[in-house]
Amino acid sequence: MTLANLKNIRQSPREQWLRWAPYIAAGVVFVLVPLLVPTYINSLLTKILIFAIFAISLDIIMGYTGLPSLGHAAFFGVAGYTVSILLVLHGIENFWLIALLGILMAALAAAILGIIALRVSGIYFLLVTFALGMLLYSMALKWFWLTRGVQGLPMVSYPDLGLSWLTWNNTSFYYFVFVFFIVCFFLMYRLVNSPFGRALQGIRENEPRMHALGYNTWLYKYIAFIIAGLFAGVAGVLFPYYARIMTPYSVGVTISTLAMLICIIGGLGTLWGPLIGAVVIIVVEYLSSVYVPERWPLILGGLFAITVMFLRGGIAPYLLRLWKRVSYGSAKG
Amino acid sequence: MEFFVLNLLNGVAFGFILFLLACGLSLALGVMGILNLAHGALYMVGAYLGWTIAINQGLNFWLAVLVGAVAGGLLGLIMEWGFFRYLHGQLNEQVLLTFGFIYILTNLTQWIWGPIPKAPFTAPFLAGSFPLGSYTYPFSRIATIFIGMILAVALWWLLERTRAGAIIRAGMDDRKMSTGLGINVGLVSTAVFALGAFIAGAAGVLGARMFGVNLELGLNVLLYALIVVVIGGMGSIPGAILGSMVIGIVDSFIKGLNPDLGYFSMYLIMIIILLVKPTGLLGKRRI
Repeated sequence: MTLANLKNIRQSPREQWLRWAPYIAAGVVFVLVPLLVPTYINSLLTKILIFAIFAISLDIIMGYTGLPSLGHAAFFGVAGYTVSILLVLHGIENFWLIALLGILMAALAAAILGIIALRVSGIYFLLVTFALGMLLYSMALKWFWLTRGVQGLPMVSYPDLGLSWLTWNNTSFYYFVFVFFIVCFFLMYRLVNSPFGRALQGIRENEPRMHALGYNTWLYKYIAFIIAGLFAGVAGVLFPYYARIMTPYSVGVTISTLAMLICIIGGLGTLWGPLIGAVVIIVVEYLSSVYVPERWPLILGGLFAITVMFLRGGIAPYLLRLWKRVSYGSAKG
Repeated sequence: MEFFVLNLLNGVAFGFILFLLACGLSLALGVMGILNLAHGALYMVGAYLGWTIAINQGLNFWLAVLVGAVAGGLLGLIMEWGFFRYLHGQLNEQVLLTFGFIYILTNLTQWIWGPIPKAPFTAPFLAGSFPLGSYTYPFSRIATIFIGMILAVALWWLLERTRAGAIIRAGMDDRKMSTGLGINVGLVSTAVFALGAFIAGAAGVLGARMFGVNLELGLNVLLYALIVVVIGGMGSIPGAILGSMVIGIVDSFIKGLNPDLGYFSMYLIMIIILLVKPTGLLGKRRI
């Protein structure tokens, strides 16, 4: 049952109000709460939004197009390193300029790696994206002249937007990231609901049929791969400003699999699923970093196993069903 | 000439370790369609257990190999029985689950053995070296080549010349048909998976001299094994051997000529082969 079908059901005013309830709840959490809570929670919410953008960008190729990529952090990392290198090593402070360059570099990296990765499909696609992700990771680790290797590039400043009235702190930085999140979410929403997005879902369901219908499926997959890389780049541009440091770890396979976990725990093929997944994962990560920092990988591994064995469809479908029962209960009869 | 022989021997020894790793991965993929990314983590557990037996306790090296192998095999059995049999054909889930196993096994290993890497080790009687022109060459690598060859031939014989091998190949080609003919494909899958895990555990001890014993092993050797499977073609023992040798020898020569480039050589090989022949060198299936 998709959202499009649900919209056709005639609703009473009470039901219409209920339809909007989740959006209102999300709005309250993400718009009003940050004003009232301590700043470390704002910092946590910032991280959630950055990883939500990143995970949703992975969802475009993994959930909507059916291409499981295990090297998605490559594009996140390329954008992050572009920003950090330009800012730290070359002293270019204008945020708009370096952000644009970072996003373009991520898209360029996706355009190059996509040609190689899309030679194959299925398991092989996964293995090849994994290897290509590791290639970029080893570049970040070994090219000391460019990336400072394992030391990383420290970022001390907030983004320089050229606005003199703006004072930076955790809260204002949160809203800054929030604006990016809303814009990205809206653009990706339009994308997956456009004819192009429908074609991607057709490719996911039955590629030979789409091919027979006259679609150039390779080109569709290639463009989807580049767009996913571009949005991963947006998250990557914001990340070093949040983390205050850019290290090879952020390009590595840990971040790639974390995004994959966020997508699957939230529910593949929905845009708000990865947002819920990001909330769950980042909060659990925060709690474990406070109480048992040494055992975080163990908890993460356990989460992977539990998600796979018991939450296979993700949280989003469960919530959707629950919400449907509450808000459409009488209409369904 | 010396340079050539030295690098060739190094490459072949390296290649055989890779083969021991990759054959289990390749068979699991080919027979069951299961992508076990925790294969490298089994190797790592084998290496640490081998270190405990051979160095910490000072017992026989071959006992260490056996313990590493049995531990790998047992872990493999648990994974297959407890998890993989419920995940047929679900690629994303397999990836997440096996990555979870990497984190769990690596963290548990760190918990038990501590974060500091152990010194590379080998059997006492293999610790020496012999003169090769103006260089000296370690015995342990020659031994690795012999053991690798014996295992490769044994595996090939098992798969191509025995009834068990015929059953495995039948399960690989057509699962439904084999089940219909009364073959217990589930049991065959479990056996093949455990065999691959067993060999990976043994490889952890045999390769301890070359790769060392550390916590990054789980991911590092996995990457090599995956690239071998990609370029060799999955589910094929000759493909795994060919892929291992190509990676081992080319890697060794490029590292000998230019150490900086050496780190990227295996990716370059993979990219070139994928651009020329996407099915891998000996892969049959259209993908």
